[in-house]
Amino acid sequence: MNPPHDDPPTASVDKIERLINLTACLLETRKPLTFDQLKQTVYRGQSRSEKALKRMFERDKEELRDMDIEVDTVKNEYEEEPGYMIPRRKYYLPHLDFEPDERVALTMVSRLFLGSGTPFSMPAHLAVLKLAFAKQDVDEEVLHVHWVESPRDGKLLGDILDALLRRKTVTFSYRALASDEPVTREVEPYGLFNKMGAWYFIGLCRLREDVRCFKLDRIIEDVHVNEKNPRTADFEVPTGFDIHTAIDWERPRSCSPQTKAKVVFTPRLAFAASTGGAPAGLQKRRADGSLEVTYQVADPEEFVDWVLGFGTDARIASPAALKEMARVRLQGVLNGLGAR
Amino acid sequence: MKGKVSERLNRLLLMVPFLASREGVSVTELCKEFGITEEVLMQDLETLRLCGVPDYTPDALMDYIVEGGRVRMLMADYFNRPLNLTGEEALSLFVAGSALIRSGVFQKEGALDSALSKIEMLLSEEKKVELEDVASRIDVEMRAYEGTLREIIDEGLEKGRNLQLDYYTFSRDEMTHREVEPLSLICSQGFWYLLAWCRSCEDYRLFRLDRISSVKLTDHPVEDRIRESFDVPRAVGEYSPGRKAHNVKLRFAGRRGRRIVEEWPAAQLTENPDGSVLVELRTRNLAWLATYLLRFGDGVKIEGPKELKKMVEQKASELLEAYK
Repeated sequence: MNPPHDDPPTASVDKIERLINLTACLLETRKPLTFDQLKQTVYRGQSRSEKALKRMFERDKEELRDMDIEVDTVKNEYEEEPGYMIPRRKYYLPHLDFEPDERVALTMVSRLFLGSGTPFSMPAHLAVLKLAFAKQDVDEEVLHVHWVESPRDGKLLGDILDALLRRKTVTFSYRALASDEPVTREVEPYGLFNKMGAWYFIGLCRLREDVRCFKLDRIIEDVHVNEKNPRTADFEVPTGFDIHTAIDWERPRSCSPQTKAKVVFTPRLAFAASTGGAPAGLQKRRADGSLEVTYQVADPEEFVDWVLGFGTDARIASPAALKEMARVRLQGVLNGLGAR
Repeated sequence: MKGKVSERLNRLLLMVPFLASREGVSVTELCKEFGITEEVLMQDLETLRLCGVPDYTPDALMDYIVEGGRVRMLMADYFNRPLNLTGEEALSLFVAGSALIRSGVFQKEGALDSALSKIEMLLSEEKKVELEDVASRIDVEMRAYEGTLREIIDEGLEKGRNLQLDYYTFSRDEMTHREVEPLSLICSQGFWYLLAWCRSCEDYRLFRLDRISSVKLTDHPVEDRIRESFDVPRAVGEYSPGRKAHNVKLRFAGRRGRRIVEEWPAAQLTENPDGSVLVELRTRNLAWLATYLLRFGDGVKIEGPKELKKMVEQKASELLEAYK
């Protein structure tokens, strides 16, 4: 055995080294170690009072718990002081047998968000790195599926996810699309979702005393996560809250009962007739090759937007009200071109 | 709050078994797998070198060597297996997994479902409940990925064979025919795209699935050099407008202008005292923009360029004629 160092490396270790040493020490030990024993090893050379050292140890345990590393406290009837250890069966990833197709599926899943700058991208990748660890490499024949939507502000998304996980209130300045001045909001975040590439969160707005949706892009600068009692939740999510139902409330409600609309597509873009806008029904090929499609329209504004998106390759044939809406828009564009 | 410390700790505690189980891993591969720069990697390795078990004598500390650009870990039996998944890691797999199941890329009760339930078994009862609760409150919506095109595209991707596409190029408002080397499926703004190397333009291109009018599987294998040199973020990122791009200036009535900027992060927005907003953006092709602007009616004024004004005028008049 080598003689102890004059200047043990623990004298100046920073936090991360101390946490790794603590993990290694509590994992390697065959029997629980008391705080007194840890003082001689992991915490040796720390020039702090006994009390401060104990506090440091408590904080370190919390830090490990945040990473889901459990430090067990073992009470022994012969000793006054409790002992500590990290049970190996809890620390190590148990061996899992995955079928080849499950392995491929998990790899695809882990790559979905890779490089997207969302808070899910690295954790999902590391998870598969851990899982694929026993059998080193996954089959190369994995379909690449990627999500490339980078949130404009990854930190903002990360902060909101963090508040959602810990059920902490967030405060932020928000400018709704319909208003010109930003208003400070205090919200209990219940859910988080992405729709058409944009991130939103939904929660109880204390200002409006109602469940509302907030688009992350409309938040001015940062959100402030309530850090009072960081380990205690600020609120409970109402039982039965379901993100999918919640999002459905937010869909534009049809102001009028559904109307039937006919649209004629040129042969060139006829293939795109069923790609959105509204549920497509009956399709009729005309003699000139153009395609007439009937739609059930819930939101006329949105539907006219969609048809105009085909430019000269699509034209609303009926009803007259929708045709008029299209005409007004086109005339409006032309009028705008005249005036500077 | 999950901070930098726990993120780094998790990485270090995984890096040790990752290295210990291999005969040596190249610096480049390590950086890529752990998503860090070489500088951070070296700091990580230096930190590990200071760690070990009591009594912290040299033979009780971890150590590494770099030989010919490959890193090898010495010592550290207690870290020879990876640590269990963190709650965050399990959650991320569940969020991504349920998005892919809901959009139809994976079938319900198929391989992905069974893999995810095996992972769920790793968690304690309490953590399982927590995970299910949180996962049910997060949703990433992607359009349905389905239809007959999908089967052919999947086959091309899986077998590594070229596809022939009839594609509507929205930006130029043209139908095109081309042979592409399929590389990956991309989901962006809720839409599905095929990322492929286009043989006629000799570059990466994204093809939106709902703009593909027909697709045919060929016998031509995807060239190895393309498959090997391909990297998603780079391939997608190469969509910069370039020097040939037009500078476009549009003036919108307030709200709609702000929405435009939300849709195009690259656009610049200036707010005017009268409540209108000026949106400036760069684009290589004006055809798509001319069509796109039709829907705004009198809510938009085109300040420039002239070519755009001309195009919009032509399209709007032609269409208005059809409505008469």
